[in-house]
Amino acid sequence: MRLILAGVLAGLLSATAAKGDEMVFTSWGGTTQEAQTKSWAEPFAASSGIKVLQDGPTDYGKLKAMVDAKNVTWDVVDVEMDFAIKAAKDGLLEPIDFAAVPKADLDPRFSNEHAVGSFYYSFVLAWNKGAVSGEPTSWADMFDTKKYPGKRTFYKWSAPGVIEIALLADGVPADKLYPLDLERAFKKLDTIKSEIVWWGGGAESQQLIASGEAAFGQLWNGRVFALEKDGADVGVSWNQNLTAADVLVVPKGAKNKDSAMKFLAAATSPTGQAKFAEASGYAPINTKAKAEMPADVVKGLPDAHVDGQINLDMNYWAEHRDEIATRWYAWQTK
Amino acid sequence: MQAHSLSRGSVAGLPAGSGGALPALVLVGLFFVVPVVALLLRSVTDPEPGLQNYAALFGSGTYVRVFLNTFLVAAVVTVVTILVAFPVAWMLAIMPPALGSIVFGIIILSMWTNLLTRTYAWMVLLQRTGVINRALMGLGVIDEPLPLINNLTGVTIGMVYIMLPFMILPLVGTLRAIDPMTLRAAALCGASPLQAFRRILLPLSLPGIAAGGLMVFVMSLGYFVTPALLGGTSNTMLAEMIAQTVQSLLNWGLGSAAAFVLLAVTMVLYAIQLRMVGARRLAGGL
Repeated sequence: MRLILAGVLAGLLSATAAKGDEMVFTSWGGTTQEAQTKSWAEPFAASSGIKVLQDGPTDYGKLKAMVDAKNVTWDVVDVEMDFAIKAAKDGLLEPIDFAAVPKADLDPRFSNEHAVGSFYYSFVLAWNKGAVSGEPTSWADMFDTKKYPGKRTFYKWSAPGVIEIALLADGVPADKLYPLDLERAFKKLDTIKSEIVWWGGGAESQQLIASGEAAFGQLWNGRVFALEKDGADVGVSWNQNLTAADVLVVPKGAKNKDSAMKFLAAATSPTGQAKFAEASGYAPINTKAKAEMPADVVKGLPDAHVDGQINLDMNYWAEHRDEIATRWYAWQTK
Repeated sequence: MQAHSLSRGSVAGLPAGSGGALPALVLVGLFFVVPVVALLLRSVTDPEPGLQNYAALFGSGTYVRVFLNTFLVAAVVTVVTILVAFPVAWMLAIMPPALGSIVFGIIILSMWTNLLTRTYAWMVLLQRTGVINRALMGLGVIDEPLPLINNLTGVTIGMVYIMLPFMILPLVGTLRAIDPMTLRAAALCGASPLQAFRRILLPLSLPGIAAGGLMVFVMSLGYFVTPALLGGTSNTMLAEMIAQTVQSLLNWGLGSAAAFVLLAVTMVLYAIQLRMVGARRLAGGL
């Protein structure tokens, strides 16, 4: 019964799946997916003859509906790593065929049995120089409304990042973050709640900071990188930068699994990773990629800021995803 | 017109040409009824058969709060829409027809512009560094930017703007049907303009207000884009909450239950509307 229902839903949601020498790659749209198309999909299509159709944005609800309905139209999907760990546990993902995808040079932090890294990024503290006097240097400054008045912008959805930032600002040492003390984090967030403007997507975060609508924010480093490239007057602090990763997964029952694995090999190759990193400012997950990149680009990567860098714990998040999300949205709507 | 012939046809056998409605019925059945039934079933079968999703829904302070907030926003939007729409509709009703049709055209034109574009335009106008705040601060009217966005004010402004045509159109129909002589008669009997409005015009235009008001209220209940972009998280409406539940928590069962409750409430309101103004009036007014 549930299969029929799910089938109806998924059938309504999705277009026809790619056939034969085609496959579908799904990511988040915007500048990130453009860079992925240019750095991975186009060269891959040229060398393999497999046409890569683009879809998006990534939608976890849709992914689950497709798998439940056994009508999977996505072959490779870019997802957040904590979701990937949870989804693998729920049986939504195909295992990666490491005979087809060379594993030796992949950063082990961002790959596992059901996922290979897509790229990794840091949350950094960015600000509009016109709207802020002085230079904030730590997350604690974002909670200090006396010293740094103005609106602050944070990532709207329940995901690794904001909770950790609140705890760090409240004086929790980096190595004592986990297990997360949600009570304490929300209490800290309460102190600036009326000053928070939430951003739901990368472009929004850029717009808020560039216009001065928000004076500071917790941004993805690639988005700050793009702002700087466009000549926006932004400052950035890498102190306590928080790393997280996107990974590439193959949904269970994907119709073009073999092509998908070949695509993963190309996307995670040193060249694919180097090109993407150069275009996006996000860090490569292949340890050999940096050798193929210009030195000034390497300098701007999260890799260059390992001092005080904190790795967000994806496994902890995967395990407590639902519980944290429930509390998160309850707190937000209060 | 369609509604008339269908309802009469059910008594006197199928009217001529009703076969033409079959593809439309199949379409509605396939793309509307089937998904709704699937949704309902999912809410009582996912993850297991039972009413646990509904229990979770009504047992959760968050959902109840979002429900109440959704109704509050819809009510505020409806009231403001009526207040803004009434003078416009009255002006349209008494205008010379040639001029009236131009104004009408402008109102309709706004409905053809993409919803997202219109909402983004409001963001540009309303934000702290936006046109309105800059102008007011430049003129020295205010020192600090007014909080016009990411709150109930922003949601109300954005939604009222989108809802206005749905209120104006039925209202104009009602107001045009009112005999202007009744107002003149009231004046002759010594009624002040305010009295004439309160005791003549307002009661006579109530069917139009009710039709438009309920329509706006019902449409507002399910709104997603405008509250998501112009509201803050404390104004989260149900549609956004459902999206979060499905997309972030992957909880299709709970999301379906919430969607179904919203649908049920909407249908009850629609039934009230039908009883109050009658389907014929409603169809004619639109």
